[in-house]
Amino acid sequence: MKKVTRVSALVATTALIASAFLGNSAKAADVVELKMVAADYANMQPFWDDLAAKFTKANPTIKVTVNVVSWETIDDKVKTLIATGQTPDVVNKGDYSAAAAEGLLYRADEMVSKKTLDDIVPTFLNNSKYNGVAYAVPDLASARALFYNKDILKKAGVTKLPTTWTELEKVLKQIKAKVPGVYPYALPLGPEEAQAEFSIWAGGNGGVTFKNGKWVINSKENVQTMTFLKKLTDQKLTQPNPAKCDRTACAQTLFAAGKAAFINGSVFLPGWLKDNGGAKINLGSGSFVAAPGKKPVTLGVQDYFTAYKANGHKAEITKWMDFIFEPTNYAAFLKAAGGFIPATKSAGANAAKDPALAPFIKLLPSAIFYPGDQAAWPAVKGAIQQQIGTALANPQKALDAIQAKAEAAK
Amino acid sequence: MSTQVLPKRHKRFTGKRVSLTISAWTMGFLFFAPYLQMILTALKSQEEITAIPSTYLPKKWAFSNFTGVWKEIPLATYLKSSFIISISATLIVIVIAIPAAYYVARNNFRGKKAFLLLVLVTQMFAPTALVVGIFREIVAFKLVDTYLALILIYAAFNMAFSIWILSSFFASIPKEVEEAAWIDGCSRFTTLTKIVLPLALPGLVTAFIFTFIAAWNEFVIALTLTSSPEHEPLTVGLTALIGQYQVQWNYLFAGSLIAIVPVVILFALIEKWLVGGLTAGSVK
Amino acid sequence: MSGRTMNKSRLGALPWIAPAIIMIAVFVVWPAFEMIRTSFQNVGATGQSKGWAGFDNYHTLLQNPDLKNVLIRTFIWVVGVVFFTMIISLPVAQLLNANYPGRKVVRWSIIVPWAASLVMTSTAWKWILDAYYGVLNEIAIDLHLRKESIDWLADTKQSFIWLMVVAVFVSIPFTSFVILAGLSTIPNDIKEASHVDGATSWKSYRHITFPLLKPSLFVAAVINLINVFNSFPIIWVITQGGPGYETDTTTTLAYKISFRDQDVGQSAAMAAVNFVIILVFIGLFLKASKNQEQN
Repeated sequence: MKKVTRVSALVATTALIASAFLGNSAKAADVVELKMVAADYANMQPFWDDLAAKFTKANPTIKVTVNVVSWETIDDKVKTLIATGQTPDVVNKGDYSAAAAEGLLYRADEMVSKKTLDDIVPTFLNNSKYNGVAYAVPDLASARALFYNKDILKKAGVTKLPTTWTELEKVLKQIKAKVPGVYPYALPLGPEEAQAEFSIWAGGNGGVTFKNGKWVINSKENVQTMTFLKKLTDQKLTQPNPAKCDRTACAQTLFAAGKAAFINGSVFLPGWLKDNGGAKINLGSGSFVAAPGKKPVTLGVQDYFTAYKANGHKAEITKWMDFIFEPTNYAAFLKAAGGFIPATKSAGANAAKDPALAPFIKLLPSAIFYPGDQAAWPAVKGAIQQQIGTALANPQKALDAIQAKAEAAK
Repeated sequence: MSTQVLPKRHKRFTGKRVSLTISAWTMGFLFFAPYLQMILTALKSQEEITAIPSTYLPKKWAFSNFTGVWKEIPLATYLKSSFIISISATLIVIVIAIPAAYYVARNNFRGKKAFLLLVLVTQMFAPTALVVGIFREIVAFKLVDTYLALILIYAAFNMAFSIWILSSFFASIPKEVEEAAWIDGCSRFTTLTKIVLPLALPGLVTAFIFTFIAAWNEFVIALTLTSSPEHEPLTVGLTALIGQYQVQWNYLFAGSLIAIVPVVILFALIEKWLVGGLTAGSVK
Repeated sequence: MSGRTMNKSRLGALPWIAPAIIMIAVFVVWPAFEMIRTSFQNVGATGQSKGWAGFDNYHTLLQNPDLKNVLIRTFIWVVGVVFFTMIISLPVAQLLNANYPGRKVVRWSIIVPWAASLVMTSTAWKWILDAYYGVLNEIAIDLHLRKESIDWLADTKQSFIWLMVVAVFVSIPFTSFVILAGLSTIPNDIKEASHVDGATSWKSYRHITFPLLKPSLFVAAVINLINVFNSFPIIWVITQGGPGYETDTTTTLAYKISFRDQDVGQSAAMAAVNFVIILVFIGLFLKASKNQEQN
């Protein structure tokens, strides 16, 4: 008997503690709670908390909670939320296609008002489609250019900026010969952002990852591209071990220290350099090199807002999304995220006057984008990050392996 | 608790004692060295932190990193959450593990083997692999984004080690000690608390430290189960310093180093009990 | 209950062990079943289940061309790290237990690698080993061991050895403190005997102290086997298992399958296989230690 009492006492105590903890989470019934999960561009929690508070002040019946999660972990977090039936209402991250393919998302024209939608830059909205229908609203974008260290080029006697692979190779050799202790090109094929480095090089050779309904990662053009990069590496025209060199911790850090002459850099590189010891770098930029006879390209990368149907909060979501895109709020969003290209025409007009952004906005018409509209893109991106570095040992084999992963991806 | 009487015969500065001291200090330094390096890095400014070539010492001592991080992220809130979660989980483990370990050490019962195996098997799962199942459960219990969820899970996942180590300590205590106490009229409970537990104190301290540290440093489950800064423990909170293209290394290092301090203080407080006062040998 | 000798009936055990069983059943065993269930499901890239998949996930997993090497590496990883951890921890524990000025400080400094999160320690090591701004290069150059910086992690074999060094480094504090706690159960007079100088000291350690330490060593070894097998942050932070899959263990591979390949079902299958592997590891170890005891 005693034992039973003890166990039931334990149960009772546990229940008591539980109810005490639960009591806090009771809410008034007439308030709709919108849950948003947002990737962290740069310590964004204060921005979102502030914006959510302002929104609730204007719309007392809607409460928004924003869970800011690092880029490393957001995919897992959202997946777990969906798997356990805790689907958020709005997500801000780098892809949308898998969710669109599974029919989980509101269309872009359901997410935001027509006025907001009309303000989105058409190129970006075009890259937010699945089977021809936009299922995401782009939040911001970036583009890339070939950055160089003017002082190193001067020392090496380089007067003309290379525009083709052949010219680049010649210039890199010249730098290697004349400026010892400097890596002519910083090549980051480590997992962090390998898909970007691969895509922009491949794009300069007319290569893509997806074409006519098929993955074409091991295409002739792409094998050529990786063979060229292998050649650069073998001649020690890059830093050693590009396969384990991550963009930020390795390539950009070398460039910031004045140890690399050329780098493929994104729109935020100048700002990053200032904060990370590269303030003194005499920075120049131009469009990225292409294979002889091919058109130079830039790589456009955009991220997205997506809205999930699971909780049926369509009207509330639209209000919240429109609120985010109100010019002052959206300007604050861009400022908090730090130095990206705006996704709206109105904000873009201002950005075009910004000397840091203007050159990139000019490059955008020549931009290629990731095949973000393919449901399998996240898996393909993962495979590239994982394995493209090994292409420097054997281009064909590594690209075949990635191709196989792409074809097997769901 | 009387203090340990250690053999005093080496008190003189013999060659052996000197070499012992030197090797112990060297060892201590080697284990601390990576963190010393981290402290020095945390005292560099963000611009200097990845300079090539790097220097051993900061050119400019940026002590402000250690104060600035409290403003950059709500570090105090995270520390508070981590502390509440870890200490509660540890206490639950201790309270539940003591009777189980004691009973197992002192009795042969049917299912004892099965119980010990079950306990051991729980230690074998990487929590990462179970996170979806755990989350479903926490949703069902309506405990999402609460301290209690993390407390219960950490307690469950660290139960095994405590039961095992405690039962091995209980088993090493001669039964005669307890029997003597019963004859003196002590109840089982009094015997346990007044006689057995003090004898097993080193094991208890080890279990305490083990659970506390495991809970203090857990990341994956905390990341999944919390969604508001008020309930996030430190491990999750620090990730706010990792932006998409900009890691605030200076603050990240400072914050991570600050995170070690409470654990070391806690350890310093209970370290003296790691060597049992009344060792089993005192009773024969 | 008070004042009586212990009730030996089966129910007698329940009040003592039931809370532990309930906690474990609810928060560990049940989620483990969920994981195994997931391993038989086809899970979409968003995390939604698309129905049963039978053994498809296991089938795909076994066809992974890198799996074999990863398995071999996992074996080397677990056995190597645990072996060196145990071997080094024994003298470390003796030093922690010995009597000399400043013992407290030495104990505090050795708790630090245990107290620090693995992610942080791994990050610290990654910086120390960095080819360009790592302090190890600096030291090597200043001591005239090398003329210029080298990449300590350039070669995959070499970087795997470094990963193991870091794993041993972080496992020693826990292990030596468990042994230290075990030393305290050894009666004082025996301890004194082991303080006798010269060869007898080693002999008394070998024949008296060491056998008495066996229960602690056993617990430490089992926990280490499990923790080292499940160890994730060291490899993930320092090499991400790369390049390719060349420094992965099955634990990092399971994560990669979910994180990079977006295949949650197959990742659960890998996790289930991992569970079987560690079960075998522990089973073999239990058997070996039992045999050893009988000898």
